[in-house]
Amino acid sequence: MKYPFPVGRSDFIQGDEAIARAAILAGCRFYAGYPITPASEIFEAMALYMPLVDGVSIQMEDELASMAAIIGASWAGAKAMTATSGPGFSLMQENLGYAIMTETPVVVVDVQRGGPSTGQPTLGAQGDVMQSIWGTHGDHSLIVLTPATVQEAFDMTIRAFNLAEKYRTPVALLTDAEIAHMRERVYTPNPEDIELVYRKLPANKEEAQYPFGDIHGDMIPPMPIFGKGYRTYVTGLTHDEKGRPKTVDAEVHERLIRRIINKLEKNKEDIIAYETFDLDDAEIAIISYGTVARSAIRAVKLLREEGIKAGLLKLNTIWPFDFEMIEGIAEHVSKIYVPEMNLGQVYHLVKEGANGKAEVELIPKIGGEIHTPTDIIERVKRGV
Amino acid sequence: MMQIRLAGIGGQGVILAGVILGEAAAIEGLNVLQTQDYGSASRGGHSIADVIISKEPIYELMVTKADVLVALAQLGYDSTKEELKRDGILIVDTDLVKPDRDYIGAPFTHLAEENTGLALTVNMVALGYLVAKTGIVKKESVEEAIKRRVPKGTEDINVKAFRVGYEEGLK
Repeated sequence: MKYPFPVGRSDFIQGDEAIARAAILAGCRFYAGYPITPASEIFEAMALYMPLVDGVSIQMEDELASMAAIIGASWAGAKAMTATSGPGFSLMQENLGYAIMTETPVVVVDVQRGGPSTGQPTLGAQGDVMQSIWGTHGDHSLIVLTPATVQEAFDMTIRAFNLAEKYRTPVALLTDAEIAHMRERVYTPNPEDIELVYRKLPANKEEAQYPFGDIHGDMIPPMPIFGKGYRTYVTGLTHDEKGRPKTVDAEVHERLIRRIINKLEKNKEDIIAYETFDLDDAEIAIISYGTVARSAIRAVKLLREEGIKAGLLKLNTIWPFDFEMIEGIAEHVSKIYVPEMNLGQVYHLVKEGANGKAEVELIPKIGGEIHTPTDIIERVKRGV
Repeated sequence: MMQIRLAGIGGQGVILAGVILGEAAAIEGLNVLQTQDYGSASRGGHSIADVIISKEPIYELMVTKADVLVALAQLGYDSTKEELKRDGILIVDTDLVKPDRDYIGAPFTHLAEENTGLALTVNMVALGYLVAKTGIVKKESVEEAIKRRVPKGTEDINVKAFRVGYEEGLK
């Protein structure tokens, strides 16, 4: 197959462009969206590329419809994606819940900008963390990934599709205006070197009767595809293993919701990704993710040069969250700093994880500017 | 690591010059980051392109202390001169920018018009001068990057403008 962009070489591209190219390479063949700064370039690239790979890119009337369209496309067998920014992400929340409830593999990119409301369209922020995890109502879980570089945006987009397919779940990719518009060197592998995952399909008619049943003991039911010969009922109402609405049966509800949550919780080790820098002998830990992690890495290096034993945990997923790992770190350091481009979101998760074993301090910043390494260093030094 | 800031006004093509410089570095396998800052007007507002090139990983998101500042307009110079290191290199269009410190440069816009007939190739002339003076990337890499990045049919005129600036920089 011929790709409408160079493969097997390094290119100098923006984060939004990298996400579009990675999605195509991951097998995405349906994109629905509504333009919004700073995510529009993803849509522009998809509009250009999709017809050239026999895919579909469609502008919907709004973000509610965009989310609905990718859910439908996924049930029709396509790997599907949408991308938006804060205001559009808010509008997608209801149908994101529907995707969770119906266990539909989709990828939703939220290119964060300053909010709430229309806020600061062109400036980066990390204000949508809690929305990405808890924006839709009801008990639930999904996967949230947080790239810090353009290469990571590329790699994590492929991973987002693989996780969505493997666990039959929506995956949110949380970037921001900085990553969206900065250009960096990105290596695009040859397609044959990219490992792709495809959803589990029913092996036969018997299996297809249980599109929401844990028939393989792995909590992930095989997903029948519309038009492939099976009769399947899909609903946002609480449903039994066959997909039939069972709205007042507490046991059915509990079984369904616990399985949806546990299929991710029990596979945390496979899903959660992170990197550490100088953390082994650290006395002070910095926990960071996304754009700000770049400044945090530099801050750790500069602090080390000054003899302060700082280390970094860089989170590449923020949900599911490894509370136990944070407690493990908290047991070995005197203090944990959490720099975020918001007024405290992952900070609360870290504080819960630390469980009182170490003091946790937020280093907040809003308004569109990113923490400089100096912002972080000065706060750490004040505490030493 | 080298931090380069290109500053001008909208319409001078400073962002494209930054992108091409970055692409040239990427072609050479160097780590490179390019970000931009511009007013909402498509012409006349300030326009800044930052390029950071390094053999090491780049954690910065923008130029914090510029090793090189290329200013193609007084507005661009005035808005960002504080970001240039004290011992940094200031390169200006000598017809359009009157700096208040040591500088090098040439009348880039004039050279563009004279050699290509198009003032809008000023960005490539200035880029050629910058590359000749700093040696940050190879001439050939930039020419390859120009071919990748400029609109089809304009490759030759842009390469020509780049070479004019490059020759000027070797003087």
